[in-house]
Amino acid sequence: MQKSYRSWARTWAVSALAAAMLAACGGSDPEVPGSGQPDGAPTARGNFTSLVTFGDSLSDTGAYAPATSLAGNGTAPYFGGKFTVNSATAKIWVENLATTLGVVTTPAEVGFGGSSVKCPVALTTPAAASTCTSYGQGGSRVTDPNGIGKAGGALTVPVKTQIANHLARFSSFKATDLIIVWGGNNDAFAQFGAFSVTATQIQTDAATGKITADAANLALFQAQTAAQLAMKQAAQELVGYVKSEILAKGGKYVVVMNLPDSTLTPFGSTLPATARPVLSALVDTFNLWLRDGLTGVPVQLMDQNTAGKDVYANMAKYGLVNNSVPICDATKIAAITRNAVTDGSSLFCNSTAGAPYNGTRTGSDVNTWQFADGVHPSPGGHKIISDAVAAQLRAYGWI
Amino acid sequence: MQSKLHTPALVAAAVLGLAQLPALAQSHTFKVGPIRYDTNSRTNGVTGIGIPPGADAKVGDATTVVLTYEYEIKPNVGVEFVLGIPPTIKAKATGSVAFLGEVLSAKNVSPTVLFNYHFGSRGDTFRPYIGLGMNYTKFTDVKTPYGWDVKMSDSVGFAGQIGADYALSPSLGLYASVGKVDTKSKLVAVSGAVIQSTIDFRPMTYSVGVSFRY
Repeated sequence: MQKSYRSWARTWAVSALAAAMLAACGGSDPEVPGSGQPDGAPTARGNFTSLVTFGDSLSDTGAYAPATSLAGNGTAPYFGGKFTVNSATAKIWVENLATTLGVVTTPAEVGFGGSSVKCPVALTTPAAASTCTSYGQGGSRVTDPNGIGKAGGALTVPVKTQIANHLARFSSFKATDLIIVWGGNNDAFAQFGAFSVTATQIQTDAATGKITADAANLALFQAQTAAQLAMKQAAQELVGYVKSEILAKGGKYVVVMNLPDSTLTPFGSTLPATARPVLSALVDTFNLWLRDGLTGVPVQLMDQNTAGKDVYANMAKYGLVNNSVPICDATKIAAITRNAVTDGSSLFCNSTAGAPYNGTRTGSDVNTWQFADGVHPSPGGHKIISDAVAAQLRAYGWI
Repeated sequence: MQSKLHTPALVAAAVLGLAQLPALAQSHTFKVGPIRYDTNSRTNGVTGIGIPPGADAKVGDATTVVLTYEYEIKPNVGVEFVLGIPPTIKAKATGSVAFLGEVLSAKNVSPTVLFNYHFGSRGDTFRPYIGLGMNYTKFTDVKTPYGWDVKMSDSVGFAGQIGADYALSPSLGLYASVGKVDTKSKLVAVSGAVIQSTIDFRPMTYSVGVSFRY
């Protein structure tokens, strides 16, 4: 009796301790969406032969290079093509990670302005056809094919279709694929843009006395809620694709990355103080429902939001000296593109010393300045991302 | 849910071994009257993605009719079961989100069991009493004009009262009582974001009415 009482007491003590530890880690509350976490991802080291990435400009390894043709007719050589400061050696995080893994990855689709080629590397090197696993494209959204820049000629194939294209080419995912999904940034920008239009109208109505201040605040709250609901939907759709189109189609080593806070960028610092929290809220809303949807799902959810905040707040720790000024000079790029590109987009930005198409700001440094343009990382910024991703993969025991 | 609702009463009955007590003459009292819930609610704030700092809410007062039944277990001690017709309580947004106005309405089903000590002795015209017990509150019919999916957790807490009976005849009388109930609920409202708050209602109750004893 005494013994069984003791063992009961010990069991109780252990479960109480476990409960306390769960609570300390912000344990799951079934009534509170997003309070759980993924579960059941592999713990064994991966034997990776491919890096398969889906996403947007942050993961774009050159889908729009033809737009930067030096001859101006879509043919190589190109002076840009990636959303960073381009050069012969400039790499984005996807390419750095591929090097770490010892695999090769090339763009899955390349083109601009209505025409594109799938797996272009295979045209010249048929043996390399299996490397066309880099699907990210600037402007791409989760589901909506009309991404940012579509009207200007960008392909913006949504993540949904990127995954479908992979299945069409390779028929399934493999246990030797390292699959990384990082989408939703452009959904946040699109929703933020729509919110901003509505908000401007509301503020005008309030300023001219057409509506009361309370009515304006309520209308702003409702506009923000509508944008948040759209982000929730995008996150839930992305979760759906991960489950039904990746995990159910053979994907084993799957990383889903959440969204970084887009306000912690040169672009973000130009936003009015009243608008900045809205963009952050849209990102956080997406991340919340991403986590909620992936609760109990066998993937790794990699927290780029927290990682990015640390980089922005402590840039010196990461070897950065500037995180407020873009390297790419909008005036120079406008001149180089004969005023076709006036927003300083890093897609058209090149840092080759002495080249006539060098579009970088005088005194800038691609390794120690974090941003290429308003939102995209420099090669130095990308290296910080790939280093963090590799460190996480090691922590998972995958590499 | 139903079984949960009766839990405090069952526990109380078990504690006192109520079932084994002999039935006594004049040991049953019924009371009915209006009751006023003066809430003095306080929250830990209202938080959620996109909710500005300083958001809060306040719960309004409510009035309903209360029914009680008291069983005399000793000459000076009774166990009283209290159940009001569930009143509708309403919550208004305050602080940085005051512009939202009324954000929530709910009915609170709130049975209470109290052990009362009656001063004086049977036959006295005026008998004050004090009581201490437990309250269980469940929030039903939770509604919001904002399309949120709202859940409010059940509450179990202490309840206390002071009151007085005034006998008009051996069986009819009047009563008045003032009570305090410990009622807390965790609120989770889901829309694009997840809005959370813990509401401490801290109600004072005021009731007067008629009693019938047999």
